[in-house]
Amino acid sequence: MSGYGGWAGKVLRVDLSTGRSWTEDTIEQYKAYLGGTGIGYKVMWDEVPAGTKPYDPENRIIFAVGPLAGTGAPCNGRTAITTLWPTCWPIPLVASGHMGGQFAAKLKYAGYDAIVIQGKAARPVWLMIVDQKVEIHDARRIWGQGIRGATAAISEIMGPDAVVAAIGQAGENLVPMSVVMNAVSHSAGGIGSVMGSKNLKAIGVRGTGSIRIAGKKEDWEKLIKYHLSLLGGNNQHVVPNSPQPWAEFYDPTTRWNASRGKRWGAAGHLVDTGTCAPRETNRIAYRSNMAAFFLGDNAWKHTVRGSGCTSCPIRCHTMLKVPAVAAKYGIPAVGQNTCVGFLFGRSFFKEFTDGPKGMTALEACMVGMHLADDLGVWCNYGQLQRDFIKLYYSGVIEKKLGTREFKSYSWSKYEKGDPTFLFELLPRIAMKEGELGTVLGLGTGYMLERWGLSETEWGKDKDLAYWKMGHPKHHASEEAGQCGLLINLMYNRDSQCHSHTNFLRNGLPLPLQKKLAAEIWEAPEAVDGLGDYKPMHRSKARMAKWSLLRKELHDSLSLCNWMGPWVASPIRERGYRGDDSIESMLYKLATGDNKDREELDKVGERILLLHRALTIRGMGTKEMRLHHDKIPEWVFTDKSDKPPFTKGATHLDRNDVQVALDMFYEELGWDKATGAPTHGTYRKFGMDSVSAALSKRNLEPPA
Amino acid sequence: MKAPAIMERAGKEDRTGLRDAVAARVSAVIRERSAAAELISEAEILSLLNDEHLMFLDADGTGEDITVILARLVQESEDLQKLSGAGSPCHYSSYYMTEAYAQILLRKREGPLQLIAETVRQNACAYQRPVPLDIFTLPPFNLAYDKVLEYLALMAQTTGYDDIVMTSTSASGIYLYSTSHLETEHALMLAEWLDVGQAVNP
Ligand code: SF4
Repeated sequence: MSGYGGWAGKVLRVDLSTGRSWTEDTIEQYKAYLGGTGIGYKVMWDEVPAGTKPYDPENRIIFAVGPLAGTGAPCNGRTAITTLWPTCWPIPLVASGHMGGQFAAKLKYAGYDAIVIQGKAARPVWLMIVDQKVEIHDARRIWGQGIRGATAAISEIMGPDAVVAAIGQAGENLVPMSVVMNAVSHSAGGIGSVMGSKNLKAIGVRGTGSIRIAGKKEDWEKLIKYHLSLLGGNNQHVVPNSPQPWAEFYDPTTRWNASRGKRWGAAGHLVDTGTCAPRETNRIAYRSNMAAFFLGDNAWKHTVRGSGCTSCPIRCHTMLKVPAVAAKYGIPAVGQNTCVGFLFGRSFFKEFTDGPKGMTALEACMVGMHLADDLGVWCNYGQLQRDFIKLYYSGVIEKKLGTREFKSYSWSKYEKGDPTFLFELLPRIAMKEGELGTVLGLGTGYMLERWGLSETEWGKDKDLAYWKMGHPKHHASEEAGQCGLLINLMYNRDSQCHSHTNFLRNGLPLPLQKKLAAEIWEAPEAVDGLGDYKPMHRSKARMAKWSLLRKELHDSLSLCNWMGPWVASPIRERGYRGDDSIESMLYKLATGDNKDREELDKVGERILLLHRALTIRGMGTKEMRLHHDKIPEWVFTDKSDKPPFTKGATHLDRNDVQVALDMFYEELGWDKATGAPTHGTYRKFGMDSVSAALSKRNLEPPA
Repeated sequence: MKAPAIMERAGKEDRTGLRDAVAARVSAVIRERSAAAELISEAEILSLLNDEHLMFLDADGTGEDITVILARLVQESEDLQKLSGAGSPCHYSSYYMTEAYAQILLRKREGPLQLIAETVRQNACAYQRPVPLDIFTLPPFNLAYDKVLEYLALMAQTTGYDDIVMTSTSASGIYLYSTSHLETEHALMLAEWLDVGQAVNP
């Protein structure tokens, strides 16, 4: 291998059909695409032809991490998993899921930047990786077990230092809405059934190596301290959610919810978060309690501690202890998760007898977590639950199920918000049991198709939050105007991009946000006040492009896009500026590859470009603007009858959106008419062969 | 405000030392209070100095004015600050507390109605947002939920608070906004988004 630091140097290849494994040199093959999604897209482009289906043995599943994984860089624990996406409708296209936990670091310590899996094992297997030793083991004894049981069984064999990424029954049964999970609660949705289709139950990794940092130790330590000093609370919210003595601002909606008197009530000894001033960088882990943020103040008294990914001080997976659920539901009293993982069970219900943040809601969260994280069911960012509520209360479920099946569910329990209803529903999804269990496991697009429901109609209902291609919005126009809209158009699943929303929700007052925006995206017009949207401005297209490039960079470096970028900070003396170059500074020192911010952003752009090329090839059309970058109708409607761009209205204007698309494509060097990248753009990024392959199939716009 | 002759008349030679001691004590007490997230008023400082027998008279029988002492400290120190409100002026140290936080504490001294109204107005004006009623149950407000509802009912019958409006969201969250700084439709949309919409897009 070359003299670069950061990378482990090898990509592990495993063919489950033949049982053969071998390695490739990361730098030789993949350096231009860094790691993570970059490696994933490259493998998919080179090896998986258009027309391949997710469950074909020829499909690849790529677990890839980046040069910062396993180093001391903050928030570096993300593994990108790329494959053909089984819930992408109407045809499966390339996409990636992202899991945190310990997998990324362990993989690096074992000596690999990625694992590429192809083929299909003749019987259930699990993959054991201990440094150079790679073995395929019989998994028949653990097939049929949940994620917890499988993880425990493999951990017993591999020891406590191993990390296990496993699928549950949902993945085994080829339920498209399924996850792979490591380290108790860190999951990547959509992947489980692709592993299941390869008869791959789990991957266990133990690594005894380390990562070499190319730069000087003192410089690296200084940089890590500097990066830590810029960190906010979860999602890089830089303002606390209630007035704090050290803070100039507060915003009740931020995730920085520490305060003197807030206590981890189930910690076993008294843990008061304190005020958590920004300079106290050894107390960052107390800043955010995600259980309290998502489930309400009641969660404080059940909080054991924060948990999270390697080298991340944020610890956004809060561990809860709710003793009552053990006796009442027969589930473990302790559980941990974050965000939609917490809300999994609760979100199925419209109401609870003791209110939305009462004890029953919390119990529903515990039951949902326990079931979903063991069976390995995916929620598609809450779309599963929103679909379910809509289908039930509009009478569709009753109409579509036979009487016998309909009556086999306790609907009165459901309507009352009784968490035991989840024991009836979730296992049936994982086991594909009955029509309802089967249809809910398909993902929204295929579910609508199977039941003869209209996707267009689904896209009219703002409360459903459905976006396109079987997936929901993910911080779209309603909170981020045209920028949010543009970002949400790009992917073949929900966009999972937080670069823009982390900035917009950071808690700083609008004039300050605008000041920072002018420095980053060249004009204050890049950001609008919430519900006070203004017509399109080029800086919004720049912000959208920047957001996407940073997302791809994070996903390829293994940094957490739920935390980054770090362009705002909690530091008053810096005028709340963060540092737009933090990614390139880390990359440069870790690897020794002397790329500055602009150069590294170009790599991010190359990765995004390859994703676009894969989508074009997969869809067999260059008419992306028409057929891919589609906008649901709710974007243009609002409950008020006010026109767009009036205060309080969150809908956008149709003509303005077309202007937004024009500007966005221009910023990216893509053809305005088709939304497809031009030959010149591919060429600029050294992707002539990609251009040639597309051009041969008439998938490139005319010069 | 003159100091009472608590101490024996100080001789010329003692004066400088005593003055320094008083200044040091006053600075320390302001910082201590700020570190505990509290303001201290001029009247409270004076009373404390008297209790500790630290105020003195010059040989000519005149004492140093506490206001003058504090003004000098504010001018000469890096961190000590003065805030004027309805009652006795208050002091804090910027080492431990921002002006924004100190202003909330000052409003708190002016009574719950004023505290709630000014907080709502400031949120509407500076941040263009309604505030959840819950915020007043947290430090440094520390009001009981039911009490806030009582104060709001009282405000509705009291002149000077006509702009403070209460609204509830579809999830029954109660939000407050000021019509002087936020248009009603915008405020309603924001309250619904903050309470309900965000949760759909976590
Ligand atoms: S913020 Fe959460 S998901 Fe991101 S790296 Fe930290 S612990 Fe992991």
